[in-house]
Amino acid sequence: MRLWQLFSRANTDTRIGIYVAIPFFLFMALFLIYPTVAIVGSALSPGDSGFSFSGLGNALSGSYRQGFLNSTALAATTALIGGILGLTLAAIMRSLDRPRWLHGTLDSWSAVASQLGGVPLAFAFIAAIGTQGLLTKLFGQLGININDFGISPTGFWGLVVVYLYFQIPLMFLVSLPALNGLRKTWREAAALMGASPTRYWLQIGIPILTPAALGGMLLLFVNSFAAYATAYVLDPGGALVPLQIRFLLQGNVISGEEDLGYAIVTWVITLLLASLFLLTYLQRRTLRWTRS
Amino acid sequence: MTLVVMRNIRKFFGESRALTDFSLTVESGELVCLLGPSGCGKTTALRILAGFEKADAGTIEVDSESIGSVPVEKRNFGMVFQDYSLFPNMTARQNIEFGLKSRKVSATQRRATIDRMLQVTDLGDQADKFPHQMSGGQKQRVALARAIATSPRVLLLDEPLSALDAKVRESLREEIRHLQREVGVTTVFVTHDQQEALAIADRVGVMSNGQLEQIATPRDLYQNPKNSFVAKFIGSINRIPATSRTDGLWNVLDAILTGSRAGTELEHADAGIRPEDITVSATHRESANAIIEDSSFLGAITRVKLMLNGVTTIYADLMSINATPFIPGQPVLVGVRSDLETTIIF
Amino acid sequence: MTKFFKWGFLILLALFFVVPLLAMARFAFQSVPVALLTGETWLKGWSIDPIITASTDPAMWSAAKTSVLLAVFTSVLTLVLLMPLAIVTEIKAPRMRPWLTALTLLPWVVPPIALVVGVSVTFRTGAPWFLASVFSLVPFYALWAMPFTYRALDAGLQAINARTLYEAARSTGASFPTIILRVILPNMKASIVAAAALTTALVLGEFAFASLLLKETLPTFMVNFQQSQARAGLALALIILIFTALAIGIVVRTLRRRGLNVQTTGL
Repeated sequence: MRLWQLFSRANTDTRIGIYVAIPFFLFMALFLIYPTVAIVGSALSPGDSGFSFSGLGNALSGSYRQGFLNSTALAATTALIGGILGLTLAAIMRSLDRPRWLHGTLDSWSAVASQLGGVPLAFAFIAAIGTQGLLTKLFGQLGININDFGISPTGFWGLVVVYLYFQIPLMFLVSLPALNGLRKTWREAAALMGASPTRYWLQIGIPILTPAALGGMLLLFVNSFAAYATAYVLDPGGALVPLQIRFLLQGNVISGEEDLGYAIVTWVITLLLASLFLLTYLQRRTLRWTRS
Repeated sequence: MTLVVMRNIRKFFGESRALTDFSLTVESGELVCLLGPSGCGKTTALRILAGFEKADAGTIEVDSESIGSVPVEKRNFGMVFQDYSLFPNMTARQNIEFGLKSRKVSATQRRATIDRMLQVTDLGDQADKFPHQMSGGQKQRVALARAIATSPRVLLLDEPLSALDAKVRESLREEIRHLQREVGVTTVFVTHDQQEALAIADRVGVMSNGQLEQIATPRDLYQNPKNSFVAKFIGSINRIPATSRTDGLWNVLDAILTGSRAGTELEHADAGIRPEDITVSATHRESANAIIEDSSFLGAITRVKLMLNGVTTIYADLMSINATPFIPGQPVLVGVRSDLETTIIF
Repeated sequence: MTKFFKWGFLILLALFFVVPLLAMARFAFQSVPVALLTGETWLKGWSIDPIITASTDPAMWSAAKTSVLLAVFTSVLTLVLLMPLAIVTEIKAPRMRPWLTALTLLPWVVPPIALVVGVSVTFRTGAPWFLASVFSLVPFYALWAMPFTYRALDAGLQAINARTLYEAARSTGASFPTIILRVILPNMKASIVAAAALTTALVLGEFAFASLLLKETLPTFMVNFQQSQARAGLALALIILIFTALAIGIVVRTLRRRGLNVQTTGL
């Protein structure tokens, strides 16, 4: 009742705002917040036996601990390598202005490739570096067995290579604005003050880029950790967290296993939420620096 | 003593000419302004002097020493940019310290210099703030302190006041002038704002199309512009029809003036007369040669818009205390101040 | 960085991007096993039969139809939910903008698998009919596309200076609905197209939700199909990949040419 009175007394602007926001918030509450809260709630009361952290503890033991380690290692590795390569690519593109078409093509291609973490990508890499892959055969004829280096689509380094296919373009897109935020006059001012290019990069360029680069890598980490489709095709053994959750919840439902699934999901949400908080913080810092 | 000599500098960017045969000398301790519309080559001239661009032809000397091939880092120049260009990851103090470190100044001396710089630029309380915590005027003062901290041979200012609002611009303008005199640093200042140039410079060089049209003291530039471009660019000027006389002088309204060109070449031309050199007096309709269209009160002066002989719009600046309150439509007699002797013929 | 290093890096990266696609194309369109591939056989056995095999499968067309419908519904749902909110926030409450930006990023915190789990927990008991329909995917796709859609719309509003436009229109005495319909919306066509195109691309390639909720869309069909018809499956995957790439590429390029920078990432 009181709410309704407040509403009818509000001015038109506020009322328009409320009308417009209601469907959005209802939608978010129903399909995002409610399911999430339900999972976290179930995870915190395993076996419906009241509040307990035991489920969360179990989710980090045994093969599930290994799953987290695998996923984290994969996400961190691809974020680091993809981050460095994507940043290098952006830096190179910024210093090259000659073939104009290359810029347009690479921009569009990156927009596409950064979203390609799906089924077709997995197939492409099976055709390239699988046991019957074209590259496997090609290197084989040169006497090199690439599987010896752990490079097969189902091995760790193979997965890294596949994930890099969408991680590098994503990092490229993310770091371009930051690199463009480096002003020419900073370098010029530093040079006039007698600083060598090395000193410019060490004391100005790299410190300014660091928050943006870290933010970009964090995004890659999140992106990789949550990737499902590629992992589904390439990792039938289920050594990664998203697939472990699937096994727990869609496989034979043994009592108690579901709670374990909820607990793992809770951990994943916590991890990603923390990452995104950090990401927002780093972005704000980058904005502040490039604007002043 | 002459400090900087730029001789016959030429610079192309692809097909477009940025500088054609540009020459400039700057005396030691002097503040020279390069003034011109955008695209006239003034910034290019400054960037060539700083070493960011290489001239296609011509020589640059500082202290009688050719610096054409000396890299930027070794020139020992200071520069202030339009966008402040402070390093965002460093405090005001660290920004100022940056150049001192490259010059291998000892830590104690660095601190002394920084403190002195902060004091002369009135930034004592801003020392440990980051650029994003400062106002535009404060940032530009830090940039100025940073540029002069290393005691550069030449200080270069590239439109340093353009990004600031009017009030800050004016006070910082005076501050720069004051500081430049106190430190005695030879300065080249680039701007497109003629008021700024006239107010601050020892000499002003007016540029257009990659060339220096005229370089002179502000007063000289205003009173004796070398050509019509300079006349129009510095201050405002009326174009008033003039007729030539057989003795080579010009009839302009009620006056006989010496023109920048002899009157025998042309019969009719326009003479350039500054608004403050125009006299306006109330008169009868029969003897009037102009009609008041509008008048705006600007404080000390009143600017009157007139229609001369029914065809030419001109402006007159009258001292407000002397100006009779003219009303639009009033017939008046327009003349030229009696002590004016020369005029520029367009 | 020397020229040599720069171009070397670019060429290696280009190979990394192109070679897997070529390998995929070879596998799909050449019927010679890799083991038998030699200097003599590498030109033999090429044919486009796999495309025909794939395109004559009625299940493919029904899956494709489902995917296209899902794309349309999702685009409409995200636009209906987000567009009014984005416009009102921009012109009436710009101070709320950072909040909305953060809020629309939330769906990315909860990975698809987690969301599906949560939904199973809650909906399966409460509203089992909901998950039976293939269109139960729409809200999840709308959530997943939300960060893109909001950023594309927001970029559009910023690019047309919506607040100034609104105030200018207001000063002429136009009413709120008139301003929205006659001034703001027509100027936002480009970003609406961008948002819808990105959503469509996302839906056409989405696998996780469909697979977990056991729905047959183009990507899930592809995985099953590939297990029985290896080469036709790859041909289909390649064609869809190229089609999606071309579609996004064309949209991004035309919008860039019109001066609208499409935000294709979550940032």
